[in-house]
Amino acid sequence: MTTRRGFLASTGALALGSLAAPSILRAQGGALKVGTYGGYFEESFQNHIYPDFTAATGIEVESIAEPTGEAWLVQLQQAARAGQAPADVSMMAQVARIRGERAELWAKLDRAAMPNVENLPEHFLHTYEDGSFYGTGAVAWYISLVTNTDVYPEAPESWATLWDPANENSLGLLALASNSFLLEITATVHFGGTDILATEEGVLEVMNKLAEVQPNVRLWYRDEGQFQQGLETGEIPMGQYYHDVTGLAAADGKPVRSTFPAEGAVLDSGSWVVSRASDAIEQSQIFIDYMAQPEVQAKLSRFVGTAPTVPREMTDLTDEEFAAVSSDVAPILPRYELYVDKADWVNQKWSEIVTR
Amino acid sequence: MSGNRRTVTPAWLAALPAGWLAVFFVIPFAIMLAVSVAHRVPGGFFEMGFELDSYRRFLSPFFGGILLTSVLISAAAAVICVTLALPFTLFLSRLRRRGQTLVLVILLSILSLSEVIVGFSLSTLLSKTAGVGNFFVWLGLLEESRSYTPSLFALMTGMCYLALPYSVLVLYPPVSRLDPELGEAARMMGASPWRAFRTVTAPLLRLPLFGALILVFVFTLGVYLLPQVLGQPQHWTLSVHITDQAVFQSNLPFAAAMAVLLLLVSLAMVGLTLLLGRDKGAEA
Amino acid sequence: MTELSLRGLTKRFGNHTAVDDVTLDVPDGSFICLLGPSGCGKTTLLRLLAGLEEPTAGEVSVAGQDQTNVPPEKREFGMVFQSLALFPHLSVADNVAYPLSIRGRPRAESRKRADELLAQVQLAGMGDRRIHQLSGGQRQRVAIARGLAIEPKVFLLDEPLSALDANLREQMQVELRQLQQRLGVTTVVVTHDQKEALTMADIVIVMDKGRVQQVGAPMEVYRDPANAFVAGFIGTSNLLPCELTDASSLTLSGQRLALDPADRVKCSPGQPAVLSVRPEDTRLGPAGEGLEARVVFIRDLGESTQFVLDHDGTEITALYAPDARSDLKVDDRVGLGFVPGKRVVLPA
Repeated sequence: MTTRRGFLASTGALALGSLAAPSILRAQGGALKVGTYGGYFEESFQNHIYPDFTAATGIEVESIAEPTGEAWLVQLQQAARAGQAPADVSMMAQVARIRGERAELWAKLDRAAMPNVENLPEHFLHTYEDGSFYGTGAVAWYISLVTNTDVYPEAPESWATLWDPANENSLGLLALASNSFLLEITATVHFGGTDILATEEGVLEVMNKLAEVQPNVRLWYRDEGQFQQGLETGEIPMGQYYHDVTGLAAADGKPVRSTFPAEGAVLDSGSWVVSRASDAIEQSQIFIDYMAQPEVQAKLSRFVGTAPTVPREMTDLTDEEFAAVSSDVAPILPRYELYVDKADWVNQKWSEIVTR
Repeated sequence: MSGNRRTVTPAWLAALPAGWLAVFFVIPFAIMLAVSVAHRVPGGFFEMGFELDSYRRFLSPFFGGILLTSVLISAAAAVICVTLALPFTLFLSRLRRRGQTLVLVILLSILSLSEVIVGFSLSTLLSKTAGVGNFFVWLGLLEESRSYTPSLFALMTGMCYLALPYSVLVLYPPVSRLDPELGEAARMMGASPWRAFRTVTAPLLRLPLFGALILVFVFTLGVYLLPQVLGQPQHWTLSVHITDQAVFQSNLPFAAAMAVLLLLVSLAMVGLTLLLGRDKGAEA
Repeated sequence: MTELSLRGLTKRFGNHTAVDDVTLDVPDGSFICLLGPSGCGKTTLLRLLAGLEEPTAGEVSVAGQDQTNVPPEKREFGMVFQSLALFPHLSVADNVAYPLSIRGRPRAESRKRADELLAQVQLAGMGDRRIHQLSGGQRQRVAIARGLAIEPKVFLLDEPLSALDANLREQMQVELRQLQQRLGVTTVVVTHDQKEALTMADIVIVMDKGRVQQVGAPMEVYRDPANAFVAGFIGTSNLLPCELTDASSLTLSGQRLALDPADRVKCSPGQPAVLSVRPEDTRLGPAGEGLEARVVFIRDLGESTQFVLDHDGTEITALYAPDARSDLKVDDRVGLGFVPGKRVVLPA
């Protein structure tokens, strides 16, 4: 099973490989080391993005395959202590980005030197508490409501359908609180927004509401391939999944569809950050600025399948191209702080209440 | 004989397996033990130290229940698997040499299948759309195809499929050495075939049977993918939770603590089984 | 009356006929030995009797009741296997009591009966031992006691003494025979040892190549073999090709030999024949009298002296009391003769 984002498989092996690789001090003016998730992302960036970037700026890129999860954060942290940077620019998941922010691992950047970042919405601009700027959104993707078109001739309109007794034993949901964002979905559908998740009492209330879907859940999946197969065959005809991957499957003729419910789909993302041990801040800023251009975002949408981080109007994406990766419906934004500050607690309660 | 052998085998030869054991078992276990008492740094893996927080976290009704589930599932898998393996092996030992070799080769080739392949194949085989349900409909046994996964049945099937070759391989040598005249003697003395099996064959195979039970039990305790693929959340064993903690939550101390406890529980179960086996032997 | 009767009993394994059309009647209470070389089908025949093999054709009956399709556990036979097949996980007494406990007899009663049986085979007080604590002879006795526990209709033994050393074997032969006479149980023993058969049996059944060659009392089989195979297999016989000239004489190596009325003639004149004479019925006279022979080897056996002779390329054995013929040396020429009345002429 190769998964689109390769979450499961690549983590361990790549972590080891990166640790063992000798750190070579980059000569001034050498290649800029850019880390992206190993597998699909790294390959796509090497094929579609880096050559054009080098052509436009004259800066060579050395592509680094990084593990997802928090292993890369730990490696960056340890390397930074030794004054080294295994990568200058890294694509980081949000939880890891926030952890790095708390540890002041990310280099402060000169926002003025990157005019294009002003294209990005507020939630893709990352600053320290004191207001200093350190990173931007890199790629974004939606987790939407997906259905098998044979089993559900009519597309569902709301996430509320997850709770509908008519869908008994039909759902495939991600197994972990921190990658399913079902707490945010539940809060949005039943509690008027994600603010309720600010307190532990609120989280428990949401979890208890979410626990009511249990009779409808056929599979709590960790492996994307397993659910995708079930969805395509109609075995597990409804669930949450990646909007772009579902679209590709549908384009392949599979009887599946991805729907943006009225409450919005979950917008998850990776961000660009620069290790404070990097001695290529300037080139890194050029790279981040380059990536924030609407044309580059449109290219990512077309070739990598990610949602543009800049507003739609700025891009030249056709309706069809845009719909393949995104939607105009306001997204549900994950409350990443929850998984940073209360990770073990949320995980424990999730196991006890939701996937029991 | 044995005295003779002792003089021709150099004593240092024993150091090889001892060294191997140290390198591949004791050292990793020591590392795991050290990690299990390390301090968990949220998001930053851990810092070496000594604290029992991870163990304390485990001591809750929630994880107690999961441990119990794991032990029960593995014990059930062991009993089912060995119950199937024994008659199969007896049948196998009566085949001609060529047949035996063929079956053993097929069994060994099953061993080369990974948990992933077995899990996904079974989930397809037991599915509503592509599975046996359709076959039952074709046979006229069912009105409409249905799914048999995820369920305890699917999980047990997967575990037994994985572990059956091991139990057969454990049972095969003693079974093939079993003197067929013993069973015939029992028949001559008035025992029906089943009675002869129960009163003679089975007791004679007591030790290999216990060995096979222990092997399957320990083996299935470590299975972590099948419960996710074929089981419902209530069948997620401790191994699944260890994987969650180690891979997804980056909480290695807690994962290590759970692994240490799981190891202790398996050792205790193995000890108990051996004790049980010995007691019965003395009494008979 | 548990007369054991076999009718046309045949067993084939693929192309190989292990037991070929055996018809026999075994009188009640008799001691039968199935005797023959290895591979002659005697063990298969025993297993057919036991019900452990299904016959290809023919039937087995006991006291007039057909047993052919009765499974072994329903036949009420006792059996001692070549390997003895004692149960190592049970004590000596539990082994002996096994057939009783299978039949649901109360434990105490079974144990009492087991102790009685053990006493009968000189193993009193050994009931609580484990099998592996016993010697070979003791194990043998346990197996016999176990086979007799249910007072079987027929007692079957497959090479029961083959694992014992020579002295013990002889002792056990006598014991087994005495025990059988005391109990009066119809007994069938498979053996390849003709001495054993002659010691124990009321009736010896000689088998070869799946077929019964001769049925008879031990001395009858010994003295009056039905054919050359039996003559050669039972004891030692000198077999000399000859020609039966008429009812009262034969030609041997060109010499005419007059027959005595007591001599047994089993074939008709003109047929190729074999003269069979036991070594002890051979006489060595001065050279020129009788057949020409040369002493090749002299073997002193203690109780007797054996002379190995060469007659025209045929090896002849003669047996004398020790020192009776101390005059003979190797290479001496002698005249070979046979005791009249002890000669047997068989079809070749």
